[in-house]
Amino acid sequence: MSAVTQADQAAPGSAPAGGLIGHRGLADRGFQWLAAAAGLLVLVILVLIAVTTSQQAASWFSTEGLGIFGTKWIPAENKFGALPFIYGTAVTGVIALVMAVPVSIGIALLLTEVVPYRLARPIVYVVDLLAVVPSVVWGLWGILVFAPWIQHIYASIGSAVTGIPVLDSLFGPPTSGASFFTAGIILAFMITPIVTSLSREVIATVPTMDREGAYALGATRWEMIRGVVWPHSQGGVVGAVLLGLGRAMGETIAVALVIGSSPTITSHLFATGYNMPAVIANQFGEATGVWKAGLMGMGVLLFAFTIIVNMIARGVVERSARRMRGA
Amino acid sequence: MQRVRIQGVAAAGAALAVMALSLAACSSSSSGSGGSSSSLSGTLNASGSTFQLPFQQAAIQAYKSIQPGMTVNYGGGGSGKGRSDLAAGVVQFAGSDSPIPSDEIANFKGKTVLYFPVFLGPITMSYNLSGVSSLKLTPTVIADIFQGKITKWNDPALKSINPGVSLPSTPISLAVRSDSSGTTANFSLFLQTAEPSVWKLGSSSTINWPSSAHAGNGNGGVAQIIKSTPGAIGYVDYADAKASGLSYASVQNKAGKYIAPSPSSASAAGTTVTLAPNLTFAAVWSSDPAAYPITYQSWDLVYQKQSSTNTTKMLKAYIGYLLGDGQKLLNPLGYAPLPANILSKAKAQLSKIGS
Amino acid sequence: MAAVTEPQQANLRQPAGWRRTKDRIATTAMVIAFVVVIIPLVFVLYTVVAKGISVISWQFLTGPIPPSVLPADVGGMGPAVLGTIEITALAAAMAVPLGVLGAIYLNEYGGNNWLSRFIGFMSDVMTGVPSIVMGLFIFSIWVLHFGFSGLAGAFALGCLMLPIVIRSTYEMLRLVPDPLREGSYALGSSKSRVTLTVVLPAALGGIVSGVLLAVARAAGETAPLLFTILTVTEANPNVFSGPNTSLPSQIFVNASSPYPGAQARGWGAALTLIAIAFILMIAARVVTARFARYSR
Repeated sequence: MSAVTQADQAAPGSAPAGGLIGHRGLADRGFQWLAAAAGLLVLVILVLIAVTTSQQAASWFSTEGLGIFGTKWIPAENKFGALPFIYGTAVTGVIALVMAVPVSIGIALLLTEVVPYRLARPIVYVVDLLAVVPSVVWGLWGILVFAPWIQHIYASIGSAVTGIPVLDSLFGPPTSGASFFTAGIILAFMITPIVTSLSREVIATVPTMDREGAYALGATRWEMIRGVVWPHSQGGVVGAVLLGLGRAMGETIAVALVIGSSPTITSHLFATGYNMPAVIANQFGEATGVWKAGLMGMGVLLFAFTIIVNMIARGVVERSARRMRGA
Repeated sequence: MQRVRIQGVAAAGAALAVMALSLAACSSSSSGSGGSSSSLSGTLNASGSTFQLPFQQAAIQAYKSIQPGMTVNYGGGGSGKGRSDLAAGVVQFAGSDSPIPSDEIANFKGKTVLYFPVFLGPITMSYNLSGVSSLKLTPTVIADIFQGKITKWNDPALKSINPGVSLPSTPISLAVRSDSSGTTANFSLFLQTAEPSVWKLGSSSTINWPSSAHAGNGNGGVAQIIKSTPGAIGYVDYADAKASGLSYASVQNKAGKYIAPSPSSASAAGTTVTLAPNLTFAAVWSSDPAAYPITYQSWDLVYQKQSSTNTTKMLKAYIGYLLGDGQKLLNPLGYAPLPANILSKAKAQLSKIGS
Repeated sequence: MAAVTEPQQANLRQPAGWRRTKDRIATTAMVIAFVVVIIPLVFVLYTVVAKGISVISWQFLTGPIPPSVLPADVGGMGPAVLGTIEITALAAAMAVPLGVLGAIYLNEYGGNNWLSRFIGFMSDVMTGVPSIVMGLFIFSIWVLHFGFSGLAGAFALGCLMLPIVIRSTYEMLRLVPDPLREGSYALGSSKSRVTLTVVLPAALGGIVSGVLLAVARAAGETAPLLFTILTVTEANPNVFSGPNTSLPSQIFVNASSPYPGAQARGWGAALTLIAIAFILMIAARVVTARFARYSR
């Protein structure tokens, strides 16, 4: 009798108020600690990553000081300035975003506003298929098929714009199939799935009532999107875009194969370039001493940067979603 | 008494056990017990020069029928990687096309490294220009091309040394190495020795190429770039260039003659080298009139002091094979065997391993 | 009374000219966006299938890796297939129990306290860490002391899989209705018992589906393996010691090769890899459809 009353009094969804007897209690506590330890593992790993990689990179930071942002990376002369790679990471990331964001938002809107439910599933499958292609396969296709094909297009554009002031410095020669722009295109393919799916989640939380209200007032679909969906979801979409940027900046293998491996700071987007993850992948195996520390240091910079971008992005997405749910 | 089936805990426990077992079982380099002197077992790990890569791959395959119990891994990655792997103790021998440079000596912590030369071979000036089947180059022109001073194929400097050839106005794309490379070191050494007043970029495993150059990994990577880029020119070792079907130029040598790269013109270059006591030498810019001017060489680097007798046996056996029957594999692949005097000194040095 | 003129029939469905045009343009743009995405996907998949299918055979999947110069019909990618299977399996064996346990903590024990919300947040952030940083991490903490091995590669892949498994398991656990738990508590079960015997089985379908997707992602990763397994060409059945290789690592090496034979083997390996990822993806959907009692 009393046992039943005790169980009745326990709060729903929590452990029985009476506590457990003997070894069952021990096993239960043991399991709880195990689960907690597993949960904390994430934080432990993140801290360890930060600590161990920074330790390995210490000699670079101390030898170069502010020179880590120097413009020349010449191992033979002991110069380890990382600016060409930071520049390349930024440029390829921006190119990828410029191409992927309109497309991703377009598909997200297509899925939430335009397409009937039955058609939505196959479209989502197709976008997911894009995510299934591994990075190395993008790189293989990129360097063996895409780059040789697109180098002719670059060459034609390059010779067409020679002499025109701004266009020449952006698209003029030297041009190469393996270049900043090719890397940017392939990155765009790779980040489209994640930006699409996150934008879709955010846009789907816009209240149906607001949508229908706009339609009731006679708005066309486009006007409804502009007037209702966009103001509500722009925060979340910005978060999704930032996540895509973080992914683009960290992508290694596909970029290493198609970027051309030439550490330069140049405005010519069709020229060969380099970026941080690619140089780490290419040079780490043979580097020693300060060189290796420098590559590790760029890994630290990448880690710090993607953590920050991801924290901002997730925070923004979560806040906008919470606002939508009315929490 | 109820048995609580703690699936998650059991699985986690299994994972922890796995990790514990691995900590206990882990070892990194070669293992295995030594059998009789005629049959060896164990693993030899190596990495380094991609110039050696086709030869090593063929030799490893052939060696399997001689010593089936032995596994040899040759990872490639460039001469710089080989030297740094050897210094880190990750490999038992390293392929390197140039002697250990002064700034890397400290990594070896004073331990003696033995150099075993394995072969000679040409560095080709390979190019991709449709309609142009033969091309002549001089060291000066090469230096100007690779410093970005000559940018189009129909440049007057190129036209003057190639009178009968119609050169298009295609821009020249440079194909170079992105990794630390002995091929780069020897190519730049050739330019520095032949034209010191023209070539300003020095001689080293990595060169600060013009910014428009397209860099690839390994000799194979450079060959791939040239193959897929119309108007490209780059430096690739002969074995890789031949196997990739690339066209390559004849280069003017010290005697003023234009020589095409081939095993025989490389052997001719080998006749004039000065051998240092540790068996290092440089075959570039030979004075022999039949010599190809950009001929170079490769060594397998081994520590004199070895910690395991089995490793010593395996190294002596495998490197002995490379210097013995393995030399027969060279010509079909496009390498030149070592001159007899160098070969005999290398074989004599085998006994020093493990001493 | 003045004559009542019939009110003009307002066409309620079609807004006036320019507005309608803008709407049509917008819709067309959205459709074009989708088409733009299909084109490279079809292009890549077609190329991989076309170039890879002629190479694939049983001999390809089990044969040794030959010298790069040799043509496509010699040898295969056997060591790489073996390496991928053993390294990914080991990574999953480590990451899945820890990930599921972590998600259990977050959902069942953590509730809404700040720590579990922080862990959940940082776990999501961790999914965005570049995979090459995972490789550098394991290099610093393991390889420098214990050398290259498939185990080191598995650690790196495990770090990659962990936050993915945590997030998908957490979502599945959340969907299990509370009354299920309460019924078990009412019968006097301890919390661990409730979790293991009621909640986990209820969410199992969704969890398995999430794990399959995480495995598909890990199998295709190259960067974490670059500095941890020291890509070799000989098969190494011992995943705990000695260098190893994997399909993505070999594709990376062959992508820089000028020899048609090596490139063809690269395409074959790419097709194998995509097939594996595809099969896992379909298996995940089948499991969700047939076994997941609760799904979004």
